Amino acid sequence: MATVDRASEGRGGFAVMLPFRLAPRESSVWRFADWISLRAAVVLVAGLWLGLAVDAFAASAAAQPSILSLMVKWSPVLFGGFLFNLLISFLSMAIGTAAGIILGLFQVSLRIPLRRSAWVVTQFFRNAPWLVLLFYCILLIPFELSIFGRTVPFPDWIKAVFGLSLPVMAYVSEFVRGAVQSIPSGQWEAAESLAFSRRKTMTMIILPQCVKRVLPPWMNLYAILTMATPLVSIVGVQEVMTLTRAALGAENRVDLLIPIYLYVLSWFFIYCYPISRYTVRLERHFTVIG
Amino acid sequence: MYLRLFKWALAFAALVSLVGAIASTAQADQLQTVKSRGKIVVGVKQDYKPWGFLDPSGKIVGLEIDLAQDVANRLGVKLEMVPVVASNRMEFLAQGKIDLLVATMGDNPKRREVVGMIEPNYYAGGTNVLAPKAAGLKKWTDLKGKKVCAIQGAYYNKRVSTLYGPDLVAFAGIPEASAALKNGNCVAFVYDNTWIESRLSEDKQWAAYEMPLVTEDFQSWAIAVALPELKGPFGDFMRKVSVDWHKSRKLIELNRKWGIKDNPFLTEMHNKYKG
Amino acid sequence: MDRIEVFFRWLHETQRMNFTIGYDAYDRGRFFVGLLTTAELSIICIVLSLLVGVTGAWVQGSRSALLRNVTHGYIAFFRNTPPLIQLYFFYFALGSILPQIDAGGGLTRPPISGFGWAVISLSFFAGALNVEIFRAGLEAVPRTTVEAAEALGYTRWQSYRHVVLPLALRVSLPALGTNLVNLVKTTTLAYAIAVPELLYVSAQIWSDELNVREMMNLVLLSYVAIIAVLVWILHHWERALRIPGFGRP
Repeated sequence: MATVDRASEGRGGFAVMLPFRLAPRESSVWRFADWISLRAAVVLVAGLWLGLAVDAFAASAAAQPSILSLMVKWSPVLFGGFLFNLLISFLSMAIGTAAGIILGLFQVSLRIPLRRSAWVVTQFFRNAPWLVLLFYCILLIPFELSIFGRTVPFPDWIKAVFGLSLPVMAYVSEFVRGAVQSIPSGQWEAAESLAFSRRKTMTMIILPQCVKRVLPPWMNLYAILTMATPLVSIVGVQEVMTLTRAALGAENRVDLLIPIYLYVLSWFFIYCYPISRYTVRLERHFTVIG
Repeated sequence: MYLRLFKWALAFAALVSLVGAIASTAQADQLQTVKSRGKIVVGVKQDYKPWGFLDPSGKIVGLEIDLAQDVANRLGVKLEMVPVVASNRMEFLAQGKIDLLVATMGDNPKRREVVGMIEPNYYAGGTNVLAPKAAGLKKWTDLKGKKVCAIQGAYYNKRVSTLYGPDLVAFAGIPEASAALKNGNCVAFVYDNTWIESRLSEDKQWAAYEMPLVTEDFQSWAIAVALPELKGPFGDFMRKVSVDWHKSRKLIELNRKWGIKDNPFLTEMHNKYKG
Repeated sequence: MDRIEVFFRWLHETQRMNFTIGYDAYDRGRFFVGLLTTAELSIICIVLSLLVGVTGAWVQGSRSALLRNVTHGYIAFFRNTPPLIQLYFFYFALGSILPQIDAGGGLTRPPISGFGWAVISLSFFAGALNVEIFRAGLEAVPRTTVEAAEALGYTRWQSYRHVVLPLALRVSLPALGTNLVNLVKTTTLAYAIAVPELLYVSAQIWSDELNVREMMNLVLLSYVAIIAVLVWILHHWERALRIPGFGRP
């Protein structure tokens, strides 16, 4: 049941030249789900604010600060913590991706010792829990290094960034390996017949094609990493969770628990949901039939 | 091509060993370092009201922060604070990440092997529990088999669990432990009696709670410096400061300023040092 | 047993490697409780998340738009929010509003313990991902096969059970395996709500005995070993269920 994807209409040219795409089975359902979800979300959020407003009114009668005013009071501090989480996620992703690409290339190398050791490293860091790796990096990396008389400080959050970049490295390595191995062998053979060296084959033919295949899982990995950044609060780095707990400790109000956790959860949701939806679209866009 | 790889490997190994050699230079005198750096890094609690807690602007304030500020003033340097918790504070000091530790830390022989405790101790507290009045706890042995909230890394956890056999549920911070106690996830919260007393006297949310047991295992708290510094100029300096705090009633006044009940330990120390 | 204890004590005194679980019965007991709890938590969560995944995939194909949207909302929530904050939310926030049950002596306690909330939170989290995986598996079953089952008079439920699900399972097995491995790794989060799993007891041991380095290495190796076992089992299960013509060769 093939239909022409609406996104490709209007590009000019013959219809027969357009890429063949199966319509996603529930496309109309997804749009309906979005429609409902959007309205449900709006209703939910409106209800939430209404509830907070009512509580504000009630609290002013009881002469204690309302939940809404408390959340507003702590928002700047908490939001600063959230931005710090995002910073950690960017840095970890950057470092992990760079190291992962190298590791992935080692995994498809022709030299057996390189391939085997890269495989061991990848499997090790894929199978280690993220929290344990974080603890390991925080506790066992020295807090500063002296190189040529100058000390390079390693504050806690940098160590946490390294700790998080290790599993990212392992996952990216697997993506790269999978992508390189999914390129049809015809490409390799054609390159060989044109006298390309292995290095040139990789850089000019194989890797450019891999970028497309790696992109959706890579973006998915970024969403997962962003949602793993609160883990660094357990090892003592000051980010949004530590600050939330400190705020709760300073306020000592039991009825603040649910609103403030929902509040922080919603920030993560607003950030990650568009990324995951875009990833789904990207995946569908790049799906190759056959 | 392999020769090129080998040369690169050799160069890298040489670089690493050079870095290692340089990194293992001897420790300079901490007092000098702090003065020349112009700032002192102090580890403090940020979730232990009112010894160290967060105010809405994100600043850490409290009794111990006032003490740290006093030390910085005496040295003529700026104060930089690093929030710590019970489970990581000694590691930070041993690694050199912080110069000084003022974080409600109990002084005991095992810990003296790891960090340098400054005497005279600046505070003292004992172990007790915060429990709902309805629980009807009278003796420590009543805790046997019951769920008791605690803080991860506290020094009395092992003692309480081996002596009285409760089922210890240890959390990372006070907000979690208090919330768990309120929810009924545990029947009592074993913690320092000074904190429990200050919360019971000041916080209305604990109106239905009490501190029923006999305070046990009195431990002095101590400020700590890194172990190599204990016998050096930094250790001497901190010892003098500590004596001065007791002599000048500064600790008693700070205690009152932050609304903590008068601590008999402080009165006793003041009498001892007033001259 | 004594020989082992003597060995570890020797290690401690001469080599400064303090493996207290080798020679201290109390610490050893705690460590094994941790191992057991991790194993328990992992197994229960795996089973529950598979159930949630299968049910969710079934519901997503249902005719009721409301059910589909509720499932969509559930997946969106659990996939796009941090699992740690989900756990805190369940244990502290939801735990405080649930009706309490009588614990005797005028006290009440919440109906669900820390372990229970960890199971619920982690199962729903992994379950949300499983729904997506099973759905992809279901979509990979050729429509012709489903139509053929329909033509033979199978009801929707029967064709699901006898025809579609076995094929879908085989296609989704690689991704499912990855998700289950992630689930076992995510059980370390229960540390934050004081569930006595492996990381938690190790942290207690190293703060009591001050032997961080040794315990840290031990915990890392233990987890890698546990997960290596799981990966091996999944790999063999995958090989045993392989059908020619489906999935990767």
